[in-house]
Amino acid sequence: MLLIDIVRRALRSLLNAKTRTILTAFAIAVGAFALTLTLGASNGAKLYVNKIISDNFDPTSLIVASGRSVFDRTDTSTPQEYDDRYGSVTTQLGTTTQVKRLNDADIERIKGVEGVANVREATSVGLKYITRPGLRKYVATLQSYNPAQRPDILAGTIADPLKAKTIILPEAFLSSLGFSSAQDAIGKQVTLAVQKQLSQAALQSSVASALSGQPGGGAATQAPAAELKEESYTIAAVSKKPSSIQSATALYLYANADDTKALNDYTTEGTSNYHTYSFAYAQVADGANQTNMDATQKRLEKLGYGVQSIIQTQQFLTQLVTVLQGIVTAFGLIAVVASVFGIVNTMYISVLQRTREIGLMKALGMRRKDVGRLFRFEAALIGFLGGALGAAAAVGLGTALNPWIAAQLSLGGQNLLVFQADQIVLLVLALMAVATIAGLMPARKASRLNPIEALRTE
Amino acid sequence: MITVESLNKTYGKKDNIFQALKDISFVIPDRQTTAIIGKSGSGKSTLMHIMSGLDHPTSGTVTVNGTNLFTMKSKEMDKFRANEMSFIFQAFFVEANQTCYENVMLPLEIARVPISKRRKMVMTALKAVELESKAQNFAATLSGGQKQRLAIARAIVNKPSIVFADEPTGNLDSTTGEKVIKLLFGLNHVLGCTIVLVTHDHDLAARCQQQISLKDGEIISMHTTPVAHHTNRKVGA
Ligand SMILES: Nc1ncnc2c1ncn2[C@@H]1O[C@H](COP(=O)(O)OP(=O)(O)OP(=O)(O)O)[C@@H](O)[C@H]1O
Ligand SMILES: [Mg+2]
Repeated sequence: MLLIDIVRRALRSLLNAKTRTILTAFAIAVGAFALTLTLGASNGAKLYVNKIISDNFDPTSLIVASGRSVFDRTDTSTPQEYDDRYGSVTTQLGTTTQVKRLNDADIERIKGVEGVANVREATSVGLKYITRPGLRKYVATLQSYNPAQRPDILAGTIADPLKAKTIILPEAFLSSLGFSSAQDAIGKQVTLAVQKQLSQAALQSSVASALSGQPGGGAATQAPAAELKEESYTIAAVSKKPSSIQSATALYLYANADDTKALNDYTTEGTSNYHTYSFAYAQVADGANQTNMDATQKRLEKLGYGVQSIIQTQQFLTQLVTVLQGIVTAFGLIAVVASVFGIVNTMYISVLQRTREIGLMKALGMRRKDVGRLFRFEAALIGFLGGALGAAAAVGLGTALNPWIAAQLSLGGQNLLVFQADQIVLLVLALMAVATIAGLMPARKASRLNPIEALRTE
Repeated sequence: MITVESLNKTYGKKDNIFQALKDISFVIPDRQTTAIIGKSGSGKSTLMHIMSGLDHPTSGTVTVNGTNLFTMKSKEMDKFRANEMSFIFQAFFVEANQTCYENVMLPLEIARVPISKRRKMVMTALKAVELESKAQNFAATLSGGQKQRLAIARAIVNKPSIVFADEPTGNLDSTTGEKVIKLLFGLNHVLGCTIVLVTHDHDLAARCQQQISLKDGEIISMHTTPVAHHTNRKVGA
């Protein structure tokens, strides 16, 4: 038989048993539906992670810290060794940790490493408050702006580098600071206040003088706490509220590196944190080339620094997505496996019902090979039908629900489900292959029927 | 030429053994019409099935044009069946849920006849059995006699050189039966087909050149009436 005759006959046989065909295809459709959604979600998650990364990090930069522990702080079950070189001991979520920070000597050392183009210290200043004349004061965090970051901007423009004494204001501050809109805020002034931290020495002396009851000690106790500086900044741009996954950074203000550094120096002067950084960004020369990135990372690690690349961060972020994806995929695969039995069953029934027809075709000289093909095609068509129906339903539903899901998860304009035609085509082809395999045994049975015995059945 | 040599066919095993054919031998020359007669259960259908290679004998051989059917590879056998012979079954076996056109086209599909040639061949075969007006009707809607004619159209569509017809008139009234018989003899006259038919009708058998009578699986008589004008005819003329 010619291929076209086989396809036509397989199609007709499916049409003659519509209900059976549809019910069998339905099981595959469920699998196709789940798998299409998984693929869509995984595409969406990948794009989303990439967007977060590109919004916040420069992919050609390495994050360098004093040691791995900065990245792997999660293990709080074993005691952390105290290191004299690092003074500061902080309490985070009820656990006391010693944060080992980089100092200026480290920065110089990192700059000297082969492959490092430039180094930028990550500075973060806890502001006393941000305010405008006549309005309430609000606490805030000021970060140094990384030119590789590309936050979504509601209004204004970001110069590269960010101009001195200008800031990027997050959308969330607008109404608190008395702006009617993002546009309204551009070019307006805000007041940032920073306070000198008490050095250990200053604290001790003030406490000692207070205890000794010396006259004039009172003034000494007051002085350090009151040392406050206010500076005026112009709003250069207003950034859009980031998606929920970045909620920790939602209220970050950004100023250029020099301004941030100056404020940081002011607040930390005299403390052990003065001129130290929890980490730094080392930009790699020709970092688009992964081998350069890897080689530089190795060199930095050799010096004892903890180094993490964006790729690793990306991997970490995708891990969670991968787990969820695995669960949905498992469901999809279970549905596909279950549908295999459905197809085997349906095809056996089809062979039984058409025993006489098969006998006739064989009596008329139809080749065994062709009889087998006829039934394998029938199975493949069921696979196609189920796959196409399931995928179409998933794409339809996904496209319809995308805006709602994106709003619920506040994904910041990014769709959760991103469907790719080539993936769906591959999926449908794979399901057709699975269905064909399921049809192998019934097809074999049909091709092996003895024509005379087959014709004798009523 | 079909040569049948000492055919035996037994069904069942041990206590339940039944010998349907006992030491059958005969020769059918090309372009001859042969009638196989005998009572119900005498083994006529069994013999026809074995002669056409559909069934295997317990022992003995069937040779068609010098080739032993039962040593043929299954692929060659399929080719032979698709291109050289056709079989009209006692129970017609037309596909009820397909149109007459599709029923008749089946042998052409199996023989991989190019699509462009099929239409003409199908319509010629349907016209020969006077069913051309029913081409697009489903076979289920046909009367018994029409189904039998449809089965004949299907048997002749690919111009086989041997036609086996198992009681082609068994289900027909005498007028329709006569039409069918004329058609078959016409095939023999026009195309030079070898025709082997099974019948209970002695008048019909007498119109064939050879009569083979079976009783309980044995040949009880064999009669040949040579007809001169048939031997000069060319195949496909
Ligand atoms: N598969 C089988 N198993 C057992 N016995 C069989 C089988 N096929 C045929 N027979 C027996 O072989 C004998 C011959 O059957 P066959 O069908 O050849 O008869 P027939 O001459 O064609 O009869 P009819 O004129 O009724 O068609 C019968 O007794 C039948 O019961
Ligand atoms: Mg019979």
